[in-house]
Amino acid sequence: MITSFSSLRSLVPVLIVLALLALVPLMGPSNRFLSLAISAGINIIALYGLSVLFGQTGILSMGHAALVGVGAYTAALLARDFDIGFWFSIPVAGIMAAVVAAVIGIPSLRVSGHHFVIMTFAFGQLLTIVLTNGGEYTGAASGLDMSKPVTLLGSDIGDLQNFYLLVIAFVTISAVASWAIINSSYGRTLRAIRENEKLAAAIGINVGRHKIGAFVVSGVFAGVSGVLLAYFLRHISPGQFASFPSIYLALMVMIGGARLLLGPLAGGILVSFLPEVLNLDPVQSRILYGVCLIAVILFLPNGLIAGLADGWSKLMGASRRRAVTASAVSEAGQ
Amino acid sequence: MKSNLLRGAALALCLGAPALPALAQDAGDTVKIGVVAAESGAFVSAGHTLPAGVGLAVKQINDAGGINVGGKNYKLEMVKRDDRTDIATAIAATQELVRDEKVAAIFGSESHDFTLAMAKITQPAKIMHFAGNSTLGKVLTPEAVKAGGENHYLFQSEPQEFQRSGSTARGVLSLLEPLLGAKPKKSVLVVGNDATGQFLSSFYITALKAEGQDVPDIIFYPPETTDFSPFLTKAKSFEPDVIHFWYNGDSTLTALPQALELGAAKSYFLFGVDPGIWKERGLTADVPVAMSCVPICWGASSNPNSKPYFDAYFAAGAPHGVTSSVSLLYHDYVHFLAKAWEKAGTFDPDKTVEALMSMKYSGVVSDQLAFNETHQVTHATEVCAAAPGGDITCSMQQPPEKAPE
Repeated sequence: MITSFSSLRSLVPVLIVLALLALVPLMGPSNRFLSLAISAGINIIALYGLSVLFGQTGILSMGHAALVGVGAYTAALLARDFDIGFWFSIPVAGIMAAVVAAVIGIPSLRVSGHHFVIMTFAFGQLLTIVLTNGGEYTGAASGLDMSKPVTLLGSDIGDLQNFYLLVIAFVTISAVASWAIINSSYGRTLRAIRENEKLAAAIGINVGRHKIGAFVVSGVFAGVSGVLLAYFLRHISPGQFASFPSIYLALMVMIGGARLLLGPLAGGILVSFLPEVLNLDPVQSRILYGVCLIAVILFLPNGLIAGLADGWSKLMGASRRRAVTASAVSEAGQ
Repeated sequence: MKSNLLRGAALALCLGAPALPALAQDAGDTVKIGVVAAESGAFVSAGHTLPAGVGLAVKQINDAGGINVGGKNYKLEMVKRDDRTDIATAIAATQELVRDEKVAAIFGSESHDFTLAMAKITQPAKIMHFAGNSTLGKVLTPEAVKAGGENHYLFQSEPQEFQRSGSTARGVLSLLEPLLGAKPKKSVLVVGNDATGQFLSSFYITALKAEGQDVPDIIFYPPETTDFSPFLTKAKSFEPDVIHFWYNGDSTLTALPQALELGAAKSYFLFGVDPGIWKERGLTADVPVAMSCVPICWGASSNPNSKPYFDAYFAAGAPHGVTSSVSLLYHDYVHFLAKAWEKAGTFDPDKTVEALMSMKYSGVVSDQLAFNETHQVTHATEVCAAAPGGDITCSMQQPPEKAPE
C-alpha cells in the first residue's frame, strides 16, 4: 500500500512536531494552555479527515462539525444508555459518523462544487435542529452530560496532562492514517478526481463512489474527534456542532493547507491560539481570520505550510544559484 | 519580487501574530474569587454584568476592611476571565482559575451549557461555584448536592424556575389588567429556541395556565432571528390578549416594533428588558407593554434597595444595559459567601457549604436570601408595565410556594 521511502519524508516532520508537542507538559505549561491545546488537538483530528476530503479529493464540507457532533452524541448516548466507555465508543462513533456521512454523501455528491458546500452546510443546520428538538433522548437544547471518565487499564486518566497526551496520541494516529491514505493508490485515485473528474471517469475511476468514500473516511476522523470532545468537555449541546464550528474547521484547513500533512496541524494550532495570544475578542478574531483567509487564498493558495515550503525551496534555490554564480565568477577570475 | 513580498506579508500576518506576549497577572496575599463570563461575543449583554456585579461587591467588602476568617483579616481579589462566548475558552479559563490561580470560588457563567461543563471542573476540585441559571435545577437534585454528591459545591443564585415564572406571570397579568380594562384571558408565547428558551417556557406556560390563561401555542424562533414576521403572524392568528416574548432582551427589542407594526396582540410582555432601557431609548407603544427584570429593575422599581445599588453599580463604570439587573444574581452572593466564610471561620469548602445552608442574608434583592435543600434561592421577580401614555408602574408578586401541576 505504501509506495516508497521518499514518501516517508512527508511524515517525518509531522512526527517530529508531534514528538515535540508531546514534551510540552515537561515545560510546566499553565492549565489554561493545556486546556486550549487539547481543544486544538481535538479539532486537528477532524481536520486530518477534512484534509483527505478537501486536500486530496477537492471537496469542501461546511457541515463537518455536525459529523463531530454525531461522534460526540454517540459517545454520550453509549455512556448514558449502555454504560459503554471511551475505548469502545471510539470505533462505534467513528462508524456512526461514517454511516451518517455516507447517508449525506449519497444525495449530496450527486451535485458538485458550491451546491455540495451548501448541502453540507444545510446538513449541519439540520442536525442542530434535530438535536435541539430531540426531547429527553438528545437532551434537547440543554444537551447531554458525559458521566464516565476516560479510563486506561482500569484507572481514570483524569489529569489534564494525561488527557493532553491522549489527544496527542490520537492526533499522531490521525496524521499517520492521513499519510497512509495520501500515499496509497486510493490517495492517488482521489487526487486524480481532484485534478480532473472527467478524465478520471474516462480512465475507469468510479468518481461518485470514490467521492462518497472520501466523505465517509473524513467522517471516521470527525467521529473520533467527537468522542474526545465529549469526554473532554463532559457536557455537549447542539450549539457546539452548528454552522460556525463547521466554518471554523474549514477555515483552519484552508489557512494551514489541506494538501500537506503539516497543514491541518498548523491551521488547528494557529486558529485556536490566535485569539488567546493576541487577546482578541470574537469580532476581532473573525476579522483577522477573514483577512488571513483572503491573504492565503490570494497569495498562498495551498495554505501557509505549502507557502512556507515553497518560499524555503525558492530561497535555497536562489542561494544555490548565487553560490554557483560566485564560484563561476571566481573561476573565471583565476 | 512583489509577489514574494506579498507572500511574506501574508505569512507574517498569520504566523507572526502569536509571537506577541500575553499579559500576565500577579497573585496577591488575598482570597481570590474567579469570574468566567462573556465579556465579548454573542452573550456579552448578560455576560458583562457578571464581573461588574462581583467587582462591585468585592470593592464594597474590601472598602469595609475585608473579611475576618478565623481571626485573620483577608482582602478579596476578583480574577476575571472572558470566555468569549466560546465553550473551549470557558473551560480553559475555569481550568486556569481552579488549578493555576487557586481561586476559592467561581461565579459564572451566564450560559447554562458553559456552567454545566465548568461544574465538571469546579465540583471535583471542591470549588464553591455560583451561577445565575435557573436551568441548573436539572442537575441540583437532592442526591447531587448532598455531601459527597457531584454538585455539592454548586449553588443557583436565581430562584427555581417555577417560582420565577410564577412570580413573573402574576406580575404581568396583574399590571396589564387595569391597563387593558379587563383581565387578559388568552396568551401566546414567542420564545428563542435554545436550551434556556425551551427550559424557561416549559415553566412559564404552566405558570400562565395556573393563573387561568388560555395558552393555545408556544412559538419557537431560532435565536439569531431578526425578521419575526412569520412567527408574529402565526401568533396574531390566535387573537391573543398578550404576546409574551422570552427570553433574550436584545431579540425581544427587535421583535417588539415588528409586533406593534403588525398589531399582533392587545398587549405585550418583554422578558428581561429593563424599563430603564425603555425610557433611555424613548420607546413607545400604543398598547400596554409589560417588562420584567432579573430580579429587580434599575429604570423604575418598587424595591427601595434598587436605587442605591444601581447608583453604585453605574458609578463603578458599568453600562446601562438591557439586563444590568442580572448583576444582582452575583453581587448579593459574593456578600453572602463572604459572610459564610466568616461564620465558618475557615475557607474549607465543606464547612462553607454548611455555613451557607444555615444562614439568611439581607441583600439588595431580598432581606431573606437563603438557599433551600437543593442549593437554590427564593425571591420575587420584578415586573413593570408601560401604559400607552408612557407611565411606568412596577410590582413584585411573591412566587408560588409549590410548582403548579
